[in-house]
Amino acid sequence: MRTAAVIGLVVGFGLLVQTTLFHALPFGVHPAPDILVVVCVFLGLHRHTVGGAVAAFVLGYLQDAVSGSAAGLNAFGMVVIYLLVYLTCRRLWVDNVLSKVVLVFLASCLKSIAVLAVSALFGAFDGEWGPTLSSMMVNAALAAAVAPLLFALMTGARLPEGRPAR
Amino acid sequence: MEFVRRNRILLTTGGLLLVSLLLYSVSIRSQPYRDPVGQVLLDTLAPFQAVFSLIGRGAGRVWSGYVDLVGARRDNQQLQERVAALESELLRLGELERENARLAELLAFRARLQGIAYGARVIARDPGPLSMTVTIDRGARDQIRRGMAVLAPQGVVGQIGDASHTAARVVLLTDHNSGIDAIVQRSRARGIVQGGMDGSCHMNYLSRDADVAVGDRVLTSGLDGIFPKGVLVGEVVEVSRRHRGLLQAAVVRPSVALDRLEEVLVVDATAQVVEPPA
Repeated sequence: MRTAAVIGLVVGFGLLVQTTLFHALPFGVHPAPDILVVVCVFLGLHRHTVGGAVAAFVLGYLQDAVSGSAAGLNAFGMVVIYLLVYLTCRRLWVDNVLSKVVLVFLASCLKSIAVLAVSALFGAFDGEWGPTLSSMMVNAALAAAVAPLLFALMTGARLPEGRPAR
Repeated sequence: MEFVRRNRILLTTGGLLLVSLLLYSVSIRSQPYRDPVGQVLLDTLAPFQAVFSLIGRGAGRVWSGYVDLVGARRDNQQLQERVAALESELLRLGELERENARLAELLAFRARLQGIAYGARVIARDPGPLSMTVTIDRGARDQIRRGMAVLAPQGVVGQIGDASHTAARVVLLTDHNSGIDAIVQRSRARGIVQGGMDGSCHMNYLSRDADVAVGDRVLTSGLDGIFPKGVLVGEVVEVSRRHRGLLQAAVVRPSVALDRLEEVLVVDATAQVVEPPA
Protein backbone atom coordinates (compact mmCIF):
# COMPACT_ATOMS: atom_id res chain seq x y z
CA MET A 1 0.00 0.00 0.00
CA ARG A 2 2.82 2.31 0.92
CA THR A 3 4.58 1.50 -2.36
CA ALA A 4 1.41 2.19 -4.29
CA ALA A 5 1.08 5.55 -2.58
CA VAL A 6 4.67 6.49 -3.35
CA ILE A 7 4.29 5.31 -6.95
CA GLY A 8 1.09 7.33 -7.21
CA LEU A 9 2.87 10.42 -5.92
CA VAL A 10 5.78 9.90 -8.31
CA VAL A 11 3.37 9.40 -11.23
CA GLY A 12 1.38 12.52 -10.32
CA PHE A 13 4.53 14.57 -9.85
CA GLY A 14 5.98 13.17 -13.06
CA LEU A 15 2.85 14.05 -15.07
CA LEU A 16 2.87 17.58 -13.69
CA VAL A 17 6.57 18.11 -14.25
CA GLN A 18 6.50 16.70 -17.76
CA THR A 19 3.54 18.80 -18.81
CA THR A 20 4.46 22.09 -17.13
CA LEU A 21 7.81 22.75 -15.51
CA PHE A 22 10.17 21.75 -18.28
CA HIS A 23 8.14 23.55 -20.93
CA ALA A 24 8.25 26.79 -18.97
CA LEU A 25 12.06 26.83 -18.74
CA PRO A 26 13.70 29.14 -21.32
CA PHE A 27 16.16 26.66 -22.82
CA GLY A 28 14.92 27.03 -26.39
CA VAL A 29 14.30 23.29 -26.69
CA HIS A 30 12.14 21.55 -24.13
CA PRO A 31 13.56 18.20 -23.15
CA ALA A 32 11.69 16.49 -20.35
CA PRO A 33 12.57 13.22 -18.65
CA ASP A 34 9.86 10.64 -19.13
CA ILE A 35 9.34 9.93 -15.44
CA LEU A 36 6.53 7.52 -16.13
CA VAL A 37 8.93 5.31 -18.07
CA VAL A 38 11.09 5.06 -14.95
CA VAL A 39 8.04 3.99 -12.97
CA CYS A 40 7.15 1.46 -15.65
CA VAL A 41 10.67 0.01 -15.57
CA PHE A 42 10.40 -0.19 -11.79
CA LEU A 43 7.16 -2.14 -12.15
CA GLY A 44 8.75 -4.41 -14.73
CA LEU A 45 11.62 -5.10 -12.35
CA HIS A 46 9.72 -5.49 -9.10
CA ARG A 47 6.05 -6.14 -9.82
CA HIS A 48 5.73 -9.41 -11.68
CA THR A 49 1.98 -9.63 -11.27
CA VAL A 50 -1.10 -9.01 -13.38
CA GLY A 51 -1.54 -5.83 -11.34
CA GLY A 52 1.95 -4.69 -12.42
CA ALA A 53 1.08 -5.17 -16.10
CA VAL A 54 -2.24 -3.37 -15.70
CA ALA A 55 -0.47 -0.56 -13.84
CA ALA A 56 1.93 -0.17 -16.80
CA PHE A 57 -1.08 0.08 -19.11
CA VAL A 58 -2.69 2.66 -16.81
CA LEU A 59 0.51 4.70 -16.78
CA GLY A 60 0.48 4.89 -20.56
CA TYR A 61 -3.21 5.62 -20.61
CA LEU A 62 -2.72 8.48 -18.14
CA GLN A 63 0.05 9.85 -20.30
CA ASP A 64 -2.21 9.67 -23.33
CA ALA A 65 -4.97 11.44 -21.45
CA VAL A 66 -2.72 14.25 -20.27
CA SER A 67 -0.59 14.68 -23.34
CA GLY A 68 -3.50 14.95 -25.75
CA SER A 69 -2.29 12.15 -28.01
CA ALA A 70 -4.70 9.52 -29.20
CA ALA A 71 -5.65 7.13 -26.41
CA GLY A 72 -3.82 3.82 -26.45
CA LEU A 73 -0.57 5.01 -28.03
CA ASN A 74 1.50 5.53 -24.90
CA ALA A 75 -0.41 2.72 -23.24
CA PHE A 76 0.92 0.42 -25.94
CA GLY A 77 4.47 1.75 -25.42
CA MET A 78 4.32 1.29 -21.66
CA VAL A 79 3.04 -2.27 -21.92
CA VAL A 80 5.83 -3.04 -24.39
CA ILE A 81 8.36 -1.68 -21.91
CA TYR A 82 6.88 -3.62 -19.04
CA LEU A 83 6.89 -6.83 -21.02
CA LEU A 84 10.48 -6.44 -22.22
CA VAL A 85 11.80 -5.44 -18.79
CA TYR A 86 9.96 -8.37 -17.28
CA LEU A 87 11.46 -10.76 -19.82
CA THR A 88 14.91 -9.18 -19.46
CA CYS A 89 15.08 -9.42 -15.69
CA ARG A 90 14.00 -13.05 -15.84
CA ARG A 91 17.15 -13.82 -17.79
CA LEU A 92 19.63 -11.11 -16.76
CA TRP A 93 20.77 -9.91 -13.38
CA VAL A 94 19.50 -6.34 -13.13
CA ASP A 95 20.10 -5.18 -9.63
CA ASN A 96 22.81 -2.49 -9.47
CA VAL A 97 22.20 1.19 -10.15
CA LEU A 98 24.19 1.31 -13.38
CA SER A 99 22.30 -1.56 -14.99
CA LYS A 100 19.00 0.03 -14.00
CA VAL A 101 20.06 3.37 -15.47
CA VAL A 102 21.02 1.68 -18.73
CA LEU A 103 17.75 -0.24 -18.69
CA VAL A 104 15.76 2.98 -18.24
CA PHE A 105 17.65 4.62 -21.11
CA LEU A 106 17.02 1.67 -23.41
CA ALA A 107 13.40 1.37 -22.29
CA SER A 108 12.76 5.06 -22.98
CA CYS A 109 14.31 4.73 -26.45
CA LEU A 110 12.34 1.57 -27.08
CA LYS A 111 9.10 3.17 -26.03
CA SER A 112 9.72 6.07 -28.41
CA ILE A 113 10.43 3.69 -31.26
CA ALA A 114 7.36 1.60 -30.44
CA VAL A 115 5.15 4.69 -30.30
CA LEU A 116 6.53 6.01 -33.59
CA ALA A 117 6.20 2.61 -35.22
CA VAL A 118 2.57 2.24 -34.18
CA SER A 119 1.83 5.81 -35.28
CA ALA A 120 3.44 5.15 -38.63
CA LEU A 121 1.59 1.86 -38.93
CA PHE A 122 -1.73 3.58 -38.46
CA GLY A 123 -0.68 6.45 -40.73
CA ALA A 124 -0.74 9.00 -37.95
CA PHE A 125 2.95 9.90 -38.19
CA ASP A 126 4.28 11.50 -41.35
CA GLY A 127 7.10 13.58 -39.88
CA GLU A 128 10.87 13.02 -40.06
CA TRP A 129 12.23 10.23 -37.94
CA GLY A 130 15.70 11.76 -37.44
CA PRO A 131 14.88 14.88 -35.40
CA THR A 132 12.11 13.07 -33.55
CA LEU A 133 14.40 10.23 -32.51
CA SER A 134 17.22 12.58 -31.53
CA SER A 135 14.95 14.58 -29.21
CA MET A 136 13.67 11.30 -27.80
CA MET A 137 17.26 10.23 -27.13
CA VAL A 138 17.75 13.40 -25.10
CA ASN A 139 14.59 12.66 -23.15
CA ALA A 140 15.79 9.10 -22.60
CA ALA A 141 19.11 10.36 -21.27
CA LEU A 142 17.29 12.69 -18.88
CA ALA A 143 15.05 9.85 -17.73
CA ALA A 144 18.15 7.73 -17.10
CA ALA A 145 19.67 10.62 -15.14
CA VAL A 146 16.71 10.93 -12.76
CA ALA A 147 16.18 7.17 -12.54
CA PRO A 148 18.49 6.50 -9.52
CA LEU A 149 16.66 9.06 -7.40
CA LEU A 150 13.21 7.75 -8.32
CA PHE A 151 14.30 4.13 -7.86
CA ALA A 152 15.63 5.02 -4.42
CA LEU A 153 12.31 6.64 -3.53
CA MET A 154 10.20 3.75 -4.74
CA THR A 155 12.53 1.02 -3.44
CA GLY A 156 12.68 2.66 -0.03
CA ALA A 157 8.91 2.49 0.18
CA ARG A 158 8.68 -1.04 -1.17
CA LEU A 159 7.25 -3.80 1.04
CA PRO A 160 8.00 -7.44 0.32
CA GLU A 161 5.25 -8.12 -2.14
CA GLY A 162 5.27 -9.79 -5.52
CA ARG A 163 8.38 -11.51 -6.80
CA PRO A 164 11.70 -9.88 -5.96
CA ALA A 165 14.01 -8.83 -8.70
CA ARG A 166 16.75 -11.21 -9.64
CA MET B 1 -5.22 -23.95 -16.39
CA GLU B 2 -1.68 -24.42 -15.23
CA PHE B 3 -0.52 -22.90 -18.51
CA VAL B 4 -2.61 -19.81 -17.89
CA ARG B 5 -1.33 -19.49 -14.30
CA ARG B 6 2.30 -19.85 -15.34
CA ASN B 7 2.01 -17.42 -18.22
CA ARG B 8 -0.47 -15.01 -16.71
CA ILE B 9 1.80 -12.00 -17.11
CA LEU B 10 2.59 -12.74 -20.72
CA LEU B 11 -1.07 -13.33 -21.45
CA THR B 12 -2.06 -10.16 -19.59
CA THR B 13 0.50 -7.99 -21.37
CA GLY B 14 -0.47 -9.53 -24.69
CA GLY B 15 -4.09 -8.72 -24.01
CA LEU B 16 -3.20 -5.23 -22.91
CA LEU B 17 -1.20 -4.67 -26.09
CA LEU B 18 -4.20 -5.69 -28.15
CA VAL B 19 -6.47 -3.43 -26.09
CA SER B 20 -4.01 -0.57 -26.58
CA LEU B 21 -3.93 -1.02 -30.33
CA LEU B 22 -7.69 -1.32 -30.46
CA LEU B 23 -8.11 1.78 -28.33
CA TYR B 24 -5.64 3.66 -30.49
CA SER B 25 -7.31 2.52 -33.65
CA VAL B 26 -10.70 3.65 -32.38
CA SER B 27 -9.44 6.97 -31.09
CA ILE B 28 -7.62 7.99 -34.28
CA ARG B 29 -10.46 6.93 -36.53
CA SER B 30 -13.23 8.50 -34.44
CA GLN B 31 -12.40 12.20 -34.32
CA PRO B 32 -15.32 13.14 -32.09
CA TYR B 33 -14.20 10.48 -29.61
CA ARG B 34 -13.85 12.03 -26.17
CA ASP B 35 -11.95 10.15 -23.55
CA PRO B 36 -13.94 10.49 -20.28
CA VAL B 37 -10.93 9.48 -18.16
CA GLY B 38 -8.80 12.09 -19.87
CA GLN B 39 -11.35 14.82 -19.15
CA VAL B 40 -11.60 13.92 -15.47
CA LEU B 41 -7.83 13.79 -15.27
CA LEU B 42 -7.50 17.17 -16.93
CA ASP B 43 -9.90 18.70 -14.44
CA THR B 44 -8.05 17.11 -11.56
CA LEU B 45 -4.60 18.10 -12.71
CA ALA B 46 -5.46 21.59 -13.93
CA PRO B 47 -4.95 23.46 -10.61
CA PHE B 48 -1.70 21.62 -9.95
CA GLN B 49 -0.56 22.27 -13.50
CA ALA B 50 -1.27 25.97 -13.00
CA VAL B 51 0.90 26.01 -9.87
CA PHE B 52 3.71 24.07 -11.56
CA SER B 53 3.55 26.34 -14.61
CA LEU B 54 3.84 29.32 -12.32
CA ILE B 55 6.89 27.78 -10.67
CA GLY B 56 8.36 26.92 -14.06
CA ARG B 57 7.82 30.43 -15.40
CA GLY B 58 9.32 31.89 -12.22
CA ALA B 59 12.36 29.67 -12.59
CA GLY B 60 12.49 30.64 -16.26
CA ARG B 61 12.44 34.32 -15.41
CA VAL B 62 15.21 33.85 -12.83
CA TRP B 63 17.23 31.96 -15.42
CA SER B 64 16.59 34.56 -18.12
CA GLY B 65 17.53 37.32 -15.68
CA TYR B 66 20.75 35.53 -14.87
CA VAL B 67 21.55 35.02 -18.55
CA ASP B 68 20.72 38.67 -19.28
CA LEU B 69 22.92 39.76 -16.37
CA VAL B 70 25.82 37.70 -17.66
CA GLY B 71 25.24 39.17 -21.14
CA ALA B 72 25.06 42.70 -19.74
CA ARG B 73 28.30 42.19 -17.85
CA ARG B 74 30.00 40.92 -20.99
CA ASP B 75 28.59 43.79 -23.05
CA ASN B 76 29.71 46.27 -20.40
CA GLN B 77 33.21 44.88 -20.43
CA GLN B 78 33.34 44.99 -24.23
CA LEU B 79 32.06 48.56 -24.26
CA GLN B 80 34.60 49.62 -21.65
CA GLU B 81 37.38 48.10 -23.73
CA ARG B 82 35.98 49.85 -26.79
CA VAL B 83 35.83 53.20 -24.98
CA ALA B 84 39.41 52.78 -23.78
CA ALA B 85 40.55 51.92 -27.32
CA LEU B 86 38.68 54.91 -28.77
CA GLU B 87 40.07 57.27 -26.12
CA SER B 88 43.55 56.03 -26.91
CA GLU B 89 42.88 56.52 -30.61
CA LEU B 90 41.52 60.02 -29.94
CA LEU B 91 44.63 60.86 -27.96
CA ARG B 92 46.83 59.57 -30.76
CA LEU B 93 44.91 61.53 -33.38
CA GLY B 94 45.08 64.71 -31.27
CA GLU B 95 48.81 64.24 -30.92
CA LEU B 96 49.15 63.69 -34.66
CA GLU B 97 47.11 66.82 -35.33
CA ARG B 98 49.31 68.91 -33.06
CA GLU B 99 52.46 67.42 -34.57
CA ASN B 100 51.11 68.13 -38.03
CA ALA B 101 50.48 71.77 -37.06
CA ARG B 102 53.99 72.11 -35.64
CA LEU B 103 55.58 70.54 -38.72
CA ALA B 104 53.51 72.76 -41.01
CA GLU B 105 54.74 75.77 -39.06
CA LEU B 106 58.31 74.49 -39.30
CA LEU B 107 57.89 74.00 -43.02
CA ALA B 108 56.55 77.52 -43.43
CA PHE B 109 59.53 78.79 -41.48
CA ARG B 110 61.86 76.73 -43.64
CA ALA B 111 60.38 78.43 -46.70
CA ARG B 112 61.44 81.77 -45.24
CA LEU B 113 65.03 80.58 -45.05
CA GLN B 114 67.49 80.51 -47.90
CA GLY B 115 70.34 78.01 -47.57
CA ILE B 116 70.89 74.59 -46.10
CA ALA B 117 68.57 73.58 -43.27
CA TYR B 118 67.87 70.22 -41.63
CA GLY B 119 64.78 69.33 -39.72
CA ALA B 120 65.40 67.48 -36.46
CA ARG B 121 63.40 66.10 -33.57
CA VAL B 122 64.24 66.70 -29.93
CA ILE B 123 64.80 63.32 -28.33
CA ALA B 124 66.21 64.18 -24.90
CA ARG B 125 66.74 66.99 -22.41
CA ASP B 126 69.53 67.73 -20.02
CA PRO B 127 68.41 66.66 -16.58
CA GLY B 128 70.99 68.86 -14.77
CA PRO B 129 70.03 72.25 -13.35
CA LEU B 130 73.18 74.08 -14.42
CA SER B 131 73.24 73.49 -18.14
CA MET B 132 70.45 74.05 -20.62
CA THR B 133 70.83 71.57 -23.48
CA VAL B 134 68.68 69.26 -25.53
CA THR B 135 69.59 66.34 -27.77
CA ILE B 136 68.32 66.03 -31.34
CA ASP B 137 68.08 62.96 -33.57
CA ARG B 138 70.49 64.14 -36.24
CA GLY B 139 74.26 63.99 -36.10
CA ALA B 140 77.42 64.06 -38.17
CA ARG B 141 76.05 61.60 -40.72
CA ASP B 142 73.35 64.20 -41.51
CA GLN B 143 75.96 66.97 -41.97
CA ILE B 144 75.32 68.39 -38.51
CA ARG B 145 78.42 70.07 -37.15
CA ARG B 146 79.42 71.86 -33.99
CA GLY B 147 78.52 75.57 -34.10
CA MET B 148 75.52 75.34 -36.44
CA ALA B 149 72.52 77.46 -35.53
CA VAL B 150 69.35 75.82 -34.26
CA LEU B 151 66.07 77.59 -34.93
CA ALA B 152 62.38 77.12 -34.42
CA PRO B 153 59.50 78.84 -36.22
CA GLN B 154 59.19 81.22 -33.26
CA GLY B 155 62.90 82.15 -33.27
CA VAL B 156 66.34 81.19 -31.98
CA VAL B 157 66.76 77.98 -30.02
CA GLY B 158 70.54 77.77 -29.61
CA GLN B 159 73.49 76.23 -31.37
CA ILE B 160 75.02 72.79 -31.83
CA GLY B 161 77.46 72.21 -28.98
CA ASP B 162 78.54 68.75 -29.92
CA ALA B 163 77.63 66.25 -32.65
CA SER B 164 78.04 62.48 -32.61
CA HIS B 165 77.39 60.22 -35.60
CA THR B 166 73.65 59.98 -35.12
CA ALA B 167 72.75 62.72 -32.62
CA ALA B 168 73.75 66.19 -31.54
CA ARG B 169 73.55 68.24 -28.39
CA VAL B 170 72.06 71.70 -28.68
CA VAL B 171 73.18 74.41 -26.28
CA LEU B 172 70.05 76.48 -25.68
CA LEU B 173 70.26 80.26 -25.69
CA THR B 174 69.42 80.24 -21.97
CA ASP B 175 72.57 78.21 -21.18
CA HIS B 176 75.30 80.20 -19.49
CA ASN B 177 77.78 79.08 -22.19
CA SER B 178 75.63 80.50 -24.95
CA GLY B 179 76.33 83.85 -26.66
CA ILE B 180 74.44 85.32 -29.60
CA ASP B 181 75.24 88.60 -31.33
CA ALA B 182 71.93 90.47 -31.38
CA ILE B 183 70.31 93.84 -32.05
CA VAL B 184 67.22 95.59 -30.74
CA GLN B 185 64.86 95.71 -33.71
CA ARG B 186 63.48 99.22 -33.03
CA SER B 187 66.71 101.10 -32.21
CA ARG B 188 69.26 98.72 -33.79
CA ALA B 189 71.22 98.83 -30.50
CA ARG B 190 73.69 95.94 -30.44
CA GLY B 191 74.60 93.54 -27.66
CA ILE B 192 75.27 89.90 -26.78
CA VAL B 193 72.43 87.66 -25.62
CA GLN B 194 73.72 85.24 -22.99
CA GLY B 195 72.18 82.70 -20.68
CA GLY B 196 72.38 82.98 -16.94
CA MET B 197 73.13 80.31 -14.37
CA ASP B 198 69.50 80.37 -13.35
CA GLY B 199 68.10 79.72 -16.85
CA SER B 200 67.33 83.37 -17.52
CA CYS B 201 68.47 85.22 -20.62
CA HIS B 202 70.19 88.63 -20.72
CA MET B 203 71.25 91.03 -23.41
CA ASN B 204 74.63 92.31 -22.23
CA TYR B 205 77.18 94.72 -23.53
CA LEU B 206 74.61 97.35 -24.53
CA SER B 207 76.12 100.83 -24.52
CA ARG B 208 74.76 102.98 -21.72
CA ASP B 209 73.14 105.42 -24.09
CA ALA B 210 71.54 102.71 -26.27
CA ASP B 211 67.81 103.07 -26.69
CA VAL B 212 66.34 99.92 -25.12
CA ALA B 213 62.88 99.67 -23.62
CA VAL B 214 60.63 96.99 -22.23
CA GLY B 215 58.73 95.31 -25.07
CA ASP B 216 61.47 95.79 -27.64
CA ARG B 217 62.08 92.80 -29.89
CA VAL B 218 65.60 91.41 -30.07
CA LEU B 219 66.83 89.88 -33.36
CA THR B 220 70.00 88.14 -34.42
CA SER B 221 72.49 90.51 -36.03
CA GLY B 222 74.12 87.92 -38.29
CA LEU B 223 77.55 89.24 -37.38
CA ASP B 224 78.66 86.18 -35.39
CA GLY B 225 78.79 84.02 -38.49
CA ILE B 226 76.54 81.45 -36.85
CA PHE B 227 72.94 82.71 -36.88
CA PRO B 228 71.24 84.16 -39.95
CA LYS B 229 70.45 87.83 -39.63
CA GLY B 230 66.97 88.88 -38.55
CA VAL B 231 65.81 85.85 -36.57
CA LEU B 232 63.76 86.69 -33.50
CA VAL B 233 65.55 86.00 -30.22
CA GLY B 234 63.05 87.34 -27.73
CA GLU B 235 61.50 90.34 -26.12
CA VAL B 236 62.94 92.76 -23.57
CA VAL B 237 61.07 92.43 -20.29
CA GLU B 238 63.37 94.47 -18.05
CA VAL B 239 66.12 97.03 -18.53
CA SER B 240 68.82 97.42 -15.92
CA ARG B 241 70.96 100.53 -15.60
CA ARG B 242 72.22 99.87 -12.11
CA HIS B 243 75.69 99.22 -13.28
CA ARG B 244 78.01 102.12 -13.19
CA GLY B 245 80.19 102.64 -16.23
CA LEU B 246 79.58 102.53 -19.96
CA LEU B 247 77.20 99.58 -20.32
CA GLN B 248 73.67 98.55 -19.53
CA ALA B 249 71.84 95.18 -19.70
CA ALA B 250 68.36 93.95 -20.45
CA VAL B 251 66.49 90.84 -19.44
CA VAL B 252 65.18 89.07 -22.52
CA ARG B 253 62.34 86.54 -22.59
CA PRO B 254 63.08 83.99 -25.36
CA SER B 255 60.49 83.87 -28.11
CA VAL B 256 60.69 80.08 -28.21
CA ALA B 257 59.15 78.01 -25.44
CA LEU B 258 62.35 76.09 -24.83
CA ASP B 259 60.83 73.73 -22.28
CA ARG B 260 58.27 72.51 -24.82
CA LEU B 261 60.54 72.19 -27.81
CA GLU B 262 59.86 69.19 -30.08
CA GLU B 263 61.03 69.95 -33.63
CA VAL B 264 63.79 72.31 -34.74
CA LEU B 265 65.66 73.40 -37.85
CA VAL B 266 69.45 73.19 -37.93
CA VAL B 267 70.94 75.73 -40.37
CA ASP B 268 74.47 76.41 -41.48
CA ALA B 269 76.23 79.76 -41.56
CA THR B 270 75.28 80.46 -45.15
CA ALA B 271 71.56 80.47 -44.46
CA GLN B 272 69.68 83.73 -44.67
CA VAL B 273 66.21 84.84 -43.71
CA VAL B 274 64.38 85.89 -46.87
CA GLU B 275 61.51 87.48 -45.03
CA PRO B 276 62.44 88.91 -41.61
CA PRO B 277 59.81 88.93 -38.83
CA ALA B 278 57.31 91.76 -39.04
